[in-house]
Amino acid sequence: MVPAEELQSALNQVPWFNSLTPEQFIKTAALAHLRRAKAGEIFFREGDKQDYVYIVLEGRVSLDIFVPHHGKVRFYTAEPYDVFGWSSVTPSVRQRTAGAVAVLESTVACIDAEGLRQLAEKDHDFGYLLMRRLANVVASRLMVTRLQLIDMFAGPAEYKND
Amino acid sequence: MTDKTLIIGSTVALPKPELDLLMADLRRNGFQNVGPHLQDESIIYTKIDGLKDLPRGILSEQNPASYRMIQTGKDRYFDFIPGGQSWKQFLFPPRHTLFSAVKDGKWQLKENDEPAPRYALIGVRACELAAILVQDKVFLREDFSDPIYRHRREGLFILAVNCLDPDATCFCVSMKTGPRHTAGFDLCVTELDEVFLVEVGSELGRSLLAERNFDLPSAFVQNIADQAMEHAAKSMVRTMDTSDLPSLLAGQLDAERWTEVGKRCLSCANCTLVCPTCFCWDATDQVDIVCKSTRRERVWDSCFNPIYSYIVGGNTRPNIRSRYRQWLTHKLGTWKDQFGVLGCVGCGRCITWCPAGIDLTEEVAAIRAEVKA
Amino acid sequence: MTTTLINTAAHSAGYSNKLLLPHWAEVVKIIPEAEGVTTFHLKFTDPEVQNRYRFEPGQFNMLYVPGYGEAAISMSSDLETANGLLVHTIRHIGNVTRATTRLKVGDVVGIRGPFGTSWPLEAIEGMDVVIACGGIGLPPLRGAIYRIIHNREKYGKVTLLYGARTPSDLMYPSEYETWQKAGFDMQVTVDRGDDQWTGRVGVVPMWFYHFRVDPHKTAVLTCGPEIMMRFVIYEALARRIPTEHIYVSLERNMKCGQGACGHCQQGPYFICKDGPVFPFSALENIFNVEEY
Repeated sequence: MVPAEELQSALNQVPWFNSLTPEQFIKTAALAHLRRAKAGEIFFREGDKQDYVYIVLEGRVSLDIFVPHHGKVRFYTAEPYDVFGWSSVTPSVRQRTAGAVAVLESTVACIDAEGLRQLAEKDHDFGYLLMRRLANVVASRLMVTRLQLIDMFAGPAEYKND
Repeated sequence: MTDKTLIIGSTVALPKPELDLLMADLRRNGFQNVGPHLQDESIIYTKIDGLKDLPRGILSEQNPASYRMIQTGKDRYFDFIPGGQSWKQFLFPPRHTLFSAVKDGKWQLKENDEPAPRYALIGVRACELAAILVQDKVFLREDFSDPIYRHRREGLFILAVNCLDPDATCFCVSMKTGPRHTAGFDLCVTELDEVFLVEVGSELGRSLLAERNFDLPSAFVQNIADQAMEHAAKSMVRTMDTSDLPSLLAGQLDAERWTEVGKRCLSCANCTLVCPTCFCWDATDQVDIVCKSTRRERVWDSCFNPIYSYIVGGNTRPNIRSRYRQWLTHKLGTWKDQFGVLGCVGCGRCITWCPAGIDLTEEVAAIRAEVKA
Repeated sequence: MTTTLINTAAHSAGYSNKLLLPHWAEVVKIIPEAEGVTTFHLKFTDPEVQNRYRFEPGQFNMLYVPGYGEAAISMSSDLETANGLLVHTIRHIGNVTRATTRLKVGDVVGIRGPFGTSWPLEAIEGMDVVIACGGIGLPPLRGAIYRIIHNREKYGKVTLLYGARTPSDLMYPSEYETWQKAGFDMQVTVDRGDDQWTGRVGVVPMWFYHFRVDPHKTAVLTCGPEIMMRFVIYEALARRIPTEHIYVSLERNMKCGQGACGHCQQGPYFICKDGPVFPFSALENIFNVEEY
C-alpha cells in the first residue's frame, strides 16, 4: 500500500481535483490508490467487470479492441492526466468494451467506480463536478474518434463525376 | 482644295471598295488579315482577303440559346453582332506546341520557336477590344508575362468597328465597354450605307489610310453616324447592375440560387469557350506509343471541366453547382481582386451560346434579390 | 507603292517560347519511404543551373516525366546539408507520380521551379513554434525543420506534432531521434496502432488538450489533409492564437506554378503563386466554404 501523503500529492497534480472542496477531496482520495505498472502490464480486458476509473499520472496506457484477422488494434493512448475507463462512472454500461495495457512504465491513480457513483448520488454538488469533468472527457474523446473515423489519411477519394 | 492631311483623331469617308486596297496594303506589309466570315451557317473569325469574304448583308438576332442570321440584301458588311468565336484564338491559340522531346539515351528537348503570323484584326467590336485589354492584364503581368501572347499582341493591327445594331443579349452599356469605341485601335470604322467613316487611332493607321482615296465627311454625314451610335446605345435592352460587384458575390457564396442554377447548367463549357476573356489552359503530352518522343502542348481548358479541380485528396469542385459558382464569382468578383478589373465585357456570348439558356445578368439579379429578402 | 511601314523581321527575331520549359535533372538516389511513397534525390544535369538554383522551405517544383506530364512536389531538402541535391518525397497515387515508380538512378526528369510562398521562418524568430502535420504533410515541412535546427537559438520552445494512419505510414522515422536531440519536442501519433506500437494513438489536434501554449508568442505551422488542418486551426484559435500566427499550406490542382493557367484558384488566390503557404488571417473568408 502506498503512503497516504504520496497519494494525496499525486492527486493534487491532477487539475480536476483542485475544483473539489477539501471534504470532497478527502472522500475521493479515500476511494483511490496508486498503481505502478511495467510496460505490457494489463489493467483490464474486454468483457471485464468495471471496477475502477483511472487517471494516468506518468507514462502511457493504450486502449485496444480485438478485431478478428487484425489482432489487437490500439485505437487510443492515454497520456499523463488523461482519464481512461471512464464508462465505469456512467449509470448504464457494466462491461469493459476495450482492453487497457501499459505501453510504457506508468503510474496510474485508480479510483473505485462504485464508490464514486455513491458519492455522486449522496452529494449532488460533487456529482455535478464529476459529470462535468466526464462530459469534457467524452467530448474530446468523441472529437478524436470522429477524426479517426473519417480516416483523413486514406488513399485517393473515388473519383465521382456528376 | 480641302486639306487631306490626316492626324490621329481625323475621320474620313472611305468608299467601301477602298477597304480591299487597305487590306492588300496590310498584306504587303507582312500582316495576315483575319476577320468575320460566313462558313457552315455560322460567323467565324478566319483568314480573309477582302470585302468578298465578309458576311455581306447579314443582320443577327440573338437570345439565350439562340443565334439567328437574317439576310438584308444590303450592301453592308458589319451589321451583324459577332458569333461564337472571339479574337482570343489569335492571341491565345487554342492549341500550341511548347516543345518536343526525344529520348536518344537521354531526353533531348527542342523548343518550338516558330514565329506567329502578324495579325491584322478586321472588324473588332468595342466589347471585343475591351476583352483584349482585359486579357492584356491577365497575360502581360509584372510577375508573369506569357511569351506566346506577348509575341502576338505586340505586332497586332486592330481595325475596329462601331456596333450600330446591338442584339438582345448585348449589355456592353452596363459594363461600360461600348457600343462605341474610344481608344486602343489603329483605325475605327462606322459603317454607313454608302461609305465607311474611318477614324484614325494610331500612326500606323494614319499612314495606311493616307494612301487611300477618301473624302472629308460633311457635317451631315457625321451627324447621321453620331445619331446611329446614340441609337445603338439606347436600344440595348439587357442590363447588369455592377454597382455592388465584386463584393456582392463574395458575400453570397451560400446563396440558394447556386443550387438552382446548378440544376440547369450542363457544365458543357460553352460559355468559357466563347468568352473573350476566359484564359484557363492545360498542358498535355502528346506521346508516341513507345514513349520515346513526346510533344508538350498547351490547350484551352475550362473551370467547368469536371476534373479541373481534381487532386489526389479528391475533387474540390465535385458538382456543377460548385463549378458554376466558381465561374461566376471569378468572372464578376475575384477577377477584380486579381487583375484590377472585372472579367466580363458585356458581349453576351455566354448567354447566346449556352444550350440551357442561362443568362448571367439574370443570375446576378437573382442573387442580389436573395440578399434583400 | 507603299513604303514598308513595319519591320516584320523585328516581330520574329528573338522569339522564344520559354513557357513551361523544364530543366533536366538526374536521379541520384532513391529511398523507399512508406508503402507507396518514395524519396528521390535529384541533381540538375546542367551545373550552371545547379549552382544558380535557390529555394525556401515551403516552395515546390513541377516535376516533369516526359510522356506523362507534370506533378507539383514540395521541396523537402535540408538546405544546409543537401549539397545542392533536390529532395522530393513523392506519393505514387496519380498518373505522373505513378510513372516515377519506374525511375532508376541515372534517369532524367524535368524540373521547373521553385514556385510559391515559403514558411515564414524569419518572421517567427523569437517565438515558440508548433509544427502540426500529418501523413504526406511532413515532407513540405522538412526543410523548415532543418532550418530551425540550424538556427535553434533563434526560436523558443519547438514542438513537432506528426500523425499518420498507421506506424508503417510515418515519414522519415529514422530522423526523429536527430530532431529530438536538436531540441524538438517530438509528439508522433498514429490513427491506429498494432500491439507492437508503443507510441501515441490518437490525432494531431488533440495534443492541444495536453499542453499549454502562450498565445502571445506561439506560431503554428500546419500542413496535411485539409480536415486535419481545419481541426488544428480550430484548437489553435480556441487557445487564442492570433490568425496571423497560424500558417497553412494549401493544396490545389497546380499545373503551371505561375498563376497563369487558372487551375489552382481558391477565391481570389492562385495557390501556386499567392501560396501555398498562407497566414490563416488571409484565408478566413474562404477556408471553410464548402466546395469553393
